[in-house]
Amino acid sequence: MDDRYVILVGRWVVLTLGVFWSAFPIFMVVSSSFKTHLDIFAVPPKFIFQPTFDNYVLLFREWPQFLDGLVNSMIITVGATVLTAITSLLAGYAYSRFHSRLLTLSAFFMILVRMLPPIVVTIPLFPAVNAMGLSDTHAILILLYAAFFVSLATWILKTFIDQIPRELEEAAEVEGSSVWQRLVRVVLPLSVHGMVAACVFVVVFAWNEYVFALIFTSNEAKTAPLILAEISGAIEGVQWGILFAAASVQLLPILAFVLLVQKFIVTGITAGAVKG
Amino acid sequence: MSTLILEGLSKNYGEVEALIGVDLNVGDGEFIVLVGPSGCGKSTLLRCIAGLEKQSAGDIRIDDRSITGVQTRDRNVAMVFQSYALFPHLTVAENIAFGLRIRRTDKSVIEERVAHAAGLLGLGELTGRYPRELSGGQRQRVAMGRAIVRDPVLFLFDEPLSNLDAKLRVQMRTEMKALRQRLGITSIYVTHDQDEAMTLADRIVVMNNGRIEQIGTPMELYDAPVNLFVAGFMGSPPMNFIELHRKGGNSGAQLETASGQPVPLPERGLSPGVRSVVLGVRPEGLRIDDGGPLKGTVEVVEPKGSETQVFVRLDDLHLLCVTAGKRATFQPGDPVGIAFDATESHLFDTDSGQKITTEKGTAA
Ligand SMILES: Nc1ncnc2c1ncn2[C@@H]1O[C@H](COP(=O)(O)OP(=O)(O)O)[C@@H](O)[C@H]1O
Ligand SMILES: [Mg+2]
Repeated sequence: MDDRYVILVGRWVVLTLGVFWSAFPIFMVVSSSFKTHLDIFAVPPKFIFQPTFDNYVLLFREWPQFLDGLVNSMIITVGATVLTAITSLLAGYAYSRFHSRLLTLSAFFMILVRMLPPIVVTIPLFPAVNAMGLSDTHAILILLYAAFFVSLATWILKTFIDQIPRELEEAAEVEGSSVWQRLVRVVLPLSVHGMVAACVFVVVFAWNEYVFALIFTSNEAKTAPLILAEISGAIEGVQWGILFAAASVQLLPILAFVLLVQKFIVTGITAGAVKG
Repeated sequence: MSTLILEGLSKNYGEVEALIGVDLNVGDGEFIVLVGPSGCGKSTLLRCIAGLEKQSAGDIRIDDRSITGVQTRDRNVAMVFQSYALFPHLTVAENIAFGLRIRRTDKSVIEERVAHAAGLLGLGELTGRYPRELSGGQRQRVAMGRAIVRDPVLFLFDEPLSNLDAKLRVQMRTEMKALRQRLGITSIYVTHDQDEAMTLADRIVVMNNGRIEQIGTPMELYDAPVNLFVAGFMGSPPMNFIELHRKGGNSGAQLETASGQPVPLPERGLSPGVRSVVLGVRPEGLRIDDGGPLKGTVEVVEPKGSETQVFVRLDDLHLLCVTAGKRATFQPGDPVGIAFDATESHLFDTDSGQKITTEKGTAA
């Protein structure tokens, strides 16, 4: 048989399996959130059923704090993303345009710190965070999540900025712009793909993160994943319908976001490999 | 409207001396063309004036005020880069308006000025396009538009036409000239194309190895080059050079070529110590004339339409280019004699390359 044909068929089989593997659980969670308790546990699973919104109504009636959790998650995700975007644009610019021993050293340090397990670097912060009155605030999670991703985001942006010809900035300078104006009007718009690619990592991480949220928040700044865990660990027994509804609400925004920016992710990750 | 003065301007990149003690006075509204071989420091000079590089020594003055400590963005000069350096994410209109926007100019003023500049450059229909949707010539015009839209004190052009094909380059050169007469802004224009230099310049500055070799009007440089470098650089086809050696005693000296052909030159007051000189004559200063003192063989004949260039082999080292009439009928292999006009010949010192002058003024 023709080799090319085998490769083509093989590729399709692998792709189909991959899509099925990652999409099936999502499909089960979302479809179950519209099922009655009985339908959820039907064997074999029902693919055709009478959809119901009861689970969603119950979710927001019995777990109003889930809504607060979503709002907190939203604030923290947006905050961490914006902070990462700004700092990594500035750092990426500095690493791309300036060269000194100190800069090289700091880049090395940034990567070194990132190599350690985050929990090892983070736990010792606890007393300090407490002393500064930052525990159970949005700010502490914003800072933490941004800190985890600045090194990766900076590296992605440096790669992008490396490809912006210096002459463009020189032209902007001759035209009368300051370094900040050049950043905003030239560098930023030309590295927006890299920016989005870098931000996707932060968004996904910040939206889903559990362990650090558990350690550093107790009440006011609790995020949605924490409430989700509470729903699944409720003492009066797990209400599966509500749990699936909550999981769907938690899942869909991030899914929509990733699908929306997938074009950017691909160019962002491959930047530097091919000269554009 | 402004004047520019460079005083002892030097620039080192580590060991490399890109500019060495450059002095230049540019008058108000003057159009200076900077020519010289690649790597001689032309771009570096422009970049120092724009403030993109900081000079190692010397001073730059605009309207007699030093701008050495002034930042690029406050110098109010305009620069057209060889690569055009258009902003790819902005439309033609936005590119042209960039500097005005930065200066927070009134929106209505911006619109009016951009429309005017676009009209002047024939970009009227294209203002909504992005740079990637433009041809090379159109991009070049946008870069020009960005420069002229905001009344700079000085224009700097770094080989603005060198990325265009030959035909377009000639067309844009003519447009440049019209534009320059219309705007009348003090300009420094870099090129390595000496036709461009001759066409556009009020004065030409010839540079080599980081130094200025000569400054003068196009005709001054053509007619009275001060050294071998300028003589060889200006003019196309280039000036012919023949190395001559002095034979015999110090008085009544006889000059002859390496192959021993005597070359009669009128008394020029050559100082007695000089043993060898270089004779320079432009192709139109030579004549094919069987009675001429130099004997050679026709090697190549190139009809140019209005004239014919005949290349004559004098000896192993010398192939002379002679401009002959439109209907010249020489054949390769023809033995010919060459005569030259003493008034159109130049003598240079073989060692220093400098023009040899006599008490009467310039030799030849
Ligand atoms: N950034 C730089 N670092 C080191 N050397 C440079 C730099 N820019 C230019 N040079 C050197 O300075 C000299 C003049 O360069 P340049 O002004 O670009 O020449 P031109 O524009 O006449 O071709 C060259 O020898 C070049 O290699
Ligand atoms: Mg150059």
